[in-house]
Amino acid sequence: MTLEFTTVIGLEIHIQLNTKTKIFCSCSTDYIGATPNSHICPVCTGQPGTLPVLNRKVVEFGVRGGLALHCKINKLTRFDRKNYFYADLPKAYQITEYYVPLAENGYLTITGDDGQPRRIGITRLHLEEDAGKLVHAAADGRIVGSSQSFVDYNRGGVPLAEVVSEPDLASPREAREYVSAMRQLVRYLGISDGDMEKGSMRVDANISQKVSDGRWGNRVEVKNMNSLKALERALEYETLRQRDLLARGERIAQETRNWDDADGITTPSRSKEESNDYRYFPEPDLPPLLLDEKYIEAVKASMPELPSAKRERFLAQYKLPVEDVLVLTETPELAAYYENVVKAGGDPVRSSNWVRTDLIRALKEQSRDIVDAPISAEVLAELIQLVDGGKISTTAAKDVFEKLLETPTTLEEAIRTCGIQIGAVAGDKLREIIIAVANANADVVEVVRSGQDKKDKKLKFLMGLVMKESRGQAKPDEVLKALNEFLAKE
Amino acid sequence: MELYRLSAAEIVTGLKERKFKCTDVVASCLARIKSQEPQLHAMLYVAADTAMKDAADIDAAIGEGRDLGRLMGVPVILKDNICTSSMPTTCASKILANWVPPYDATVVKMLKAEGAVILGKANCDEFAMGGSTENSAFGPTMNPWDVSRVPGGSSGGSAAAVAAGYAPISLGSDTGGSIRQPASFCGLYGMKPTYGQVSRYGLVAFASSLDQIGPFARTAEDLKLILSAICAFDPHDSTSEDRPAPCFNLSDAPLRGKKIGVLTKLVDGKLTADLQAAMNEQIEECRRLGAEIVEVALPKALEYGLACYYILAPAEASSNLARYDGVRYGAAYGEAKSLLELYVKTRGEGFGPEVKRRILTGTYVLSSGFYDAYYLTAQKVRKVIKQEFAAAFEQVEAILLPASPTPAFKLGEMSVPLTMYMADIFTIPVNLAGLPAISFNTGFSSTGLPLGMQLIGPRWSDAAILDMAAALGKKSEGRIAEGGVR
Repeated sequence: MTLEFTTVIGLEIHIQLNTKTKIFCSCSTDYIGATPNSHICPVCTGQPGTLPVLNRKVVEFGVRGGLALHCKINKLTRFDRKNYFYADLPKAYQITEYYVPLAENGYLTITGDDGQPRRIGITRLHLEEDAGKLVHAAADGRIVGSSQSFVDYNRGGVPLAEVVSEPDLASPREAREYVSAMRQLVRYLGISDGDMEKGSMRVDANISQKVSDGRWGNRVEVKNMNSLKALERALEYETLRQRDLLARGERIAQETRNWDDADGITTPSRSKEESNDYRYFPEPDLPPLLLDEKYIEAVKASMPELPSAKRERFLAQYKLPVEDVLVLTETPELAAYYENVVKAGGDPVRSSNWVRTDLIRALKEQSRDIVDAPISAEVLAELIQLVDGGKISTTAAKDVFEKLLETPTTLEEAIRTCGIQIGAVAGDKLREIIIAVANANADVVEVVRSGQDKKDKKLKFLMGLVMKESRGQAKPDEVLKALNEFLAKE
Repeated sequence: MELYRLSAAEIVTGLKERKFKCTDVVASCLARIKSQEPQLHAMLYVAADTAMKDAADIDAAIGEGRDLGRLMGVPVILKDNICTSSMPTTCASKILANWVPPYDATVVKMLKAEGAVILGKANCDEFAMGGSTENSAFGPTMNPWDVSRVPGGSSGGSAAAVAAGYAPISLGSDTGGSIRQPASFCGLYGMKPTYGQVSRYGLVAFASSLDQIGPFARTAEDLKLILSAICAFDPHDSTSEDRPAPCFNLSDAPLRGKKIGVLTKLVDGKLTADLQAAMNEQIEECRRLGAEIVEVALPKALEYGLACYYILAPAEASSNLARYDGVRYGAAYGEAKSLLELYVKTRGEGFGPEVKRRILTGTYVLSSGFYDAYYLTAQKVRKVIKQEFAAAFEQVEAILLPASPTPAFKLGEMSVPLTMYMADIFTIPVNLAGLPAISFNTGFSSTGLPLGMQLIGPRWSDAAILDMAAALGKKSEGRIAEGGVR
């Protein structure tokens, strides 16, 4: 009998909340790239006698996250101390919500391996403080072989929301999908930049295998995955490793393993973390946190439109294909840009085409963010309208678009520098083009002249060709007039 | 008269009336410290130079006709667990020897804002753990009324300093009686305000849910003065309450028509004869001043208070003291080759035996598997004690209790930790319930030892119990221990 395996994955994600100040003091959270220990104060370095004061913005961000994950928000929560010794933890305890989390029992919908929507259970979301960072003097930056270690407390006290999922994920791909959806969600909510590479979103995975003969492999915790790709690769590796061991009748050691991205393997972690007794108890320096219905409703009312709602609205409102909507709603900023183009008069479908292809490509080429787009939504809308109105051809519009990317200038100026002059093709020049087009499409001309073109379809086709040949420099009404004259004449 | 003998109120008035200079007052106090310190050892740090400079600045300001505040020119001494950015703050521990905090505690800022002159830092039990100041890593403090005896603790240095005339007022901290018991041993007023009344920001934590800063003074007037200066909401302390500051006022007949609770059944037989006599005398005095004496019962507070406290306080302490790891501040001992070795050496050599005992106890009661049986049970008991007090305060306005079952004991006399713990039986329940309580002197024993009592009130009755205690303590207030071995 061949054995069959089922993968079971649960994820714990630490999400750095992007409040301006830290969770228990007024130090700035903007520590990336800052001089070590430049964003610190007596409170976040745990100086004797200091006390924490809760940043209410952190609570608001946490409630936003909890609501977006369809969780129950606990109206009475409190902070607890998680006690352990480590040099990056200044008070030797982390203030966290252990006994009663801020939010619990929710779900996040992802696209499952079968292509259908799947709800992944959220066990809890709780608030806590981040630790500092150790910097080791060894050449490779690791503690082994390092003669000196330094501590940077800039990150200490940066607010975190830890989101724990149920073991509902059935594959590395689903795990990746879940993290990707979570990242999109926190970005939509504006509560985190969700950047795994920068460490503002850190994922630990618990993975185990169920075997068709009734055995159940031990759970392994995998850490140190710094990108979506690394997460998927690590879990794929771990799936194979565990299945291989189980197939040979061996046991899976219950342990923590570190993902080594360069070698593409996981290795046992040396940390003795599992044997720690954290001695949790309620933080006596902070009174219980009481939230009333009014507060929760106010946070709910202030929440932006969430990805799923936006996707549905785009489908209904703009009649776009699903693939388009997925791209356009990837970030709230891109979606807003698209909607601004439409609002400024751009046709929904053609606006989608411009944004999804030309604009995104341009942003990538220039490594710019959408909020910093080289062409404003209004200008793009105008350009699209020019094309739609037959004022310039699509080809000419692409040239103008490129020109606008190169140098910030007005639309008129860009059109002019492209050598496109609306109305420049007229009179004899226009007639020459019409003759050339008519010669090349004699059959079509014949149909029109015989009076069979009842809905003017052929006429419009010819007109389009003339506009194209004139590179958008002919005035559409003049083209129509001249074309009709030509068709009637001969 | 020697200026060090003046009360704070007299100093403020005298300076305003230009009767003397602040530099004269400070110089007199510093001279007194110099003459008495060899036998008392109440101080861990004397800021003679900065104090004289501050005093000169105050004189200059007075010369310009400026009013610097309620404590203008008043010398104040601080327990060495209150953070000062210009002086070391050691908590009487080797582990913080020479540590100068990067900030001032909120109370220190308030004192400075009111024009006080900080003379220095007073000795105490290491991290405020103890009842005799014998647990100081830098040697014990002697009681100025009898140098063979302890001044009490843990704020023993703060109490001894005021009793000996180093300064008219000082600040201590009270986690289980650490202000009220030494005040009683040294013949002073000592007050533990309602939990949340005075900011704890900058008080090095022992047990956060019980710690409270409070003052010592020789007169009720001075106690009122300092309390008016430090009782205020502090946004840096989340357990501090945002409510109007209490209005401290000494009235003519504060006890008239009041009901005072006593616990004769529980207290009688537990006191030394001289304290029992003092207790009976105070009951009569209350009646004489127009109060009705009502027998109340606090059976659980007195039976389970100690056990409850010696679970919760060490639990919090074990966590609060975990930060002393030799990484950021304080002492780091020896050449450590690993993080673990650094911890073991620093904490092994830096902490004294009583601190270690409590860290171990606290770590044990919080351990997985024991948490429910110890910590959670103790929290439930604490709730019951609070309810018991609340019920008692439906019948009476205040409760009269001794601050300690005995007057000051001899150095080395209480060598068994448990015996020392037992001595806190009358003070500890007050901290568990977060109540205000004030210790006052009622007179002296036949051998010349101060005998103290305490009045306990409901939450936020700080001003009321100070008013009542002032009436009871009036007859024997204001004395300075003259010094010399008895």
